Amino acid sequence: MAVTAAPTAPPRASPRGLWLDRQFIRIAVLPTTLLMTFIFGLPLIFSGYLSFQGWEPQLGLFDGKYVGLQNYEDLLSDPDFIGSIRLTLTYTFITVASELALGLGIALLLNIDLPYIAIFRTFLVVPMMITPVVAAFCWKLLLDPDHGVINWMIGEHIVWLGRPDTALFAVALVNIWQNAPYVSILLLAGLRSLPHEPVEAALIDGASTWQMFWHITLPLLRPYILVALLLRTIFEFRAFDNIYVLTSGGPANATMTLSQFTYQASFVRFDMSLGSAASWTMLAMSMVLCLFFMSTVRRRDAN
Amino acid sequence: MAALNYVGSRRGKILFAGSVYAALIGLTCAFLFPLLWIVGLSLKTRLQVFAKPPLFVWWPTMENYAAVFERADFPAAFLNSLLVSTGAVTLSLAVGVPAAYAFARFAFFGRGFLFFGLLAMRMLPPIAVLVPMYVLFSKIGLTTTRLSVILAYSTFSLPLVVWIMRGFFEDLPKELEESAWVDGASRYQAFFYVVLPLIRPGLVAASILCLQLAWNDFLFSAVLTNNATRTLPVLMAAFSGGDTGVDWGGMTASGVLVILPVIIFSFLAQRHLVAGLSSGAVKG
Repeated sequence: MAVTAAPTAPPRASPRGLWLDRQFIRIAVLPTTLLMTFIFGLPLIFSGYLSFQGWEPQLGLFDGKYVGLQNYEDLLSDPDFIGSIRLTLTYTFITVASELALGLGIALLLNIDLPYIAIFRTFLVVPMMITPVVAAFCWKLLLDPDHGVINWMIGEHIVWLGRPDTALFAVALVNIWQNAPYVSILLLAGLRSLPHEPVEAALIDGASTWQMFWHITLPLLRPYILVALLLRTIFEFRAFDNIYVLTSGGPANATMTLSQFTYQASFVRFDMSLGSAASWTMLAMSMVLCLFFMSTVRRRDAN
Repeated sequence: MAALNYVGSRRGKILFAGSVYAALIGLTCAFLFPLLWIVGLSLKTRLQVFAKPPLFVWWPTMENYAAVFERADFPAAFLNSLLVSTGAVTLSLAVGVPAAYAFARFAFFGRGFLFFGLLAMRMLPPIAVLVPMYVLFSKIGLTTTRLSVILAYSTFSLPLVVWIMRGFFEDLPKELEESAWVDGASRYQAFFYVVLPLIRPGLVAASILCLQLAWNDFLFSAVLTNNATRTLPVLMAAFSGGDTGVDWGGMTASGVLVILPVIIFSFLAQRHLVAGLSSGAVKG
């Protein structure tokens, strides 16, 4: 008669296995740390170094001449660069404000409890999925002065992307079109996660729809609005693809944002040192933006 | 869920519902019109494209699509886009998933530093990384290779993978691995045989979102590729560079072919879109 075998003991780890097991966390984070260092950390440090050099592409990596703050002085005395800082801030403000207003409106509409609302959600988010380069050239065709459908609809002949006064507007419009749906999805998720009790209590107390929105929904939604504001500000500040395809910074620098300026300096004029100095100016500005928003979010959370 | 609805009489309710639908239909038309118009252009002959007034009803032609497939550069760029995007996703998953697991489960030395680094990678302007990256890559002969683009893409796909996967790992009960450890499994065995199979939906979501970002990227591949290794967005930008030219049918048809895969993928991942979009900002 066969005797049931005793359950096999768990495999005892050898001392070497135990040592390896204790290294698990280190081994798990090592690849990420290495990749981050080589792809992100070292390049940024190197670009900081380059920004104090007069470096030429034919020189070895460390053969540039130390020029101190010369590159930064060149930038700050360049009216084009100062103009592009002002332009980037204007552009970021216009696009983010419009995206938030439009996105909030769409989110509120999509959150109304009516049949078939979900269908609209599916269609409204399509623009945000489109490759920005393709979106930009589609709009280039729509805005074409001679054969574009937009000029035909308004019955005028406007060279949208060729005039300094309309180019920024047109570029902003394309970005708003692509990114307002993004804000609306983010805020809709926020609206869906709000507690019902305050709304129900207000209903019982006889609050009007408008009062409920203004005094209950909006204050509860504030953290989500701040997140949307933070993300959109950061991404509009660094926007590149759309603007590059639509205008490449022209006409007459009317859409020369900091990203475009840095690109032109580095990859058109191949002045990597000046490009690095412009990069670090951008980095400093976006870090200030991030810290500002983070502290705002923290302060709101604390209250 | 705090869904708003109208409070009041039946007549008012109908009016309210009607105006909501009207607003939504108007918005949807406004947002989709540019896209539909482009799809329309891609189905027109050259004469029809430039017809005045524009044609709203016509017999669609597929000649533009046929012409795109006959071009030598389009399939090549399509293949490059595919290779580079899947390469970037694979690299980021292989590198980022274990780190996400460590983030979700353990306290370790350098955790805060690593977290801050990933946040910076996600948030800081890509052009600022690209300038020194180009210089370094060109000195070691890496520029114009697909590998350089894959490495460059990991600057945005790695943080995304870590954030999304971290959320999925955190939602998984800790007892699962603990019971595996008690049964004598090493941490590696618990990770590979217990945790990873359960986290498959997360892996799918993270790959789709990364694939979308990589597929859509223009800046990195514009700088790091040449005519042989360029991706679809770079080719599209070359089509439309300067003057828009006369081949609107060909341009729009190729544009539609570029965005079609992304739109299909995004619909598949719609549930996870919000998690990916807000990564790093909500879970701070």
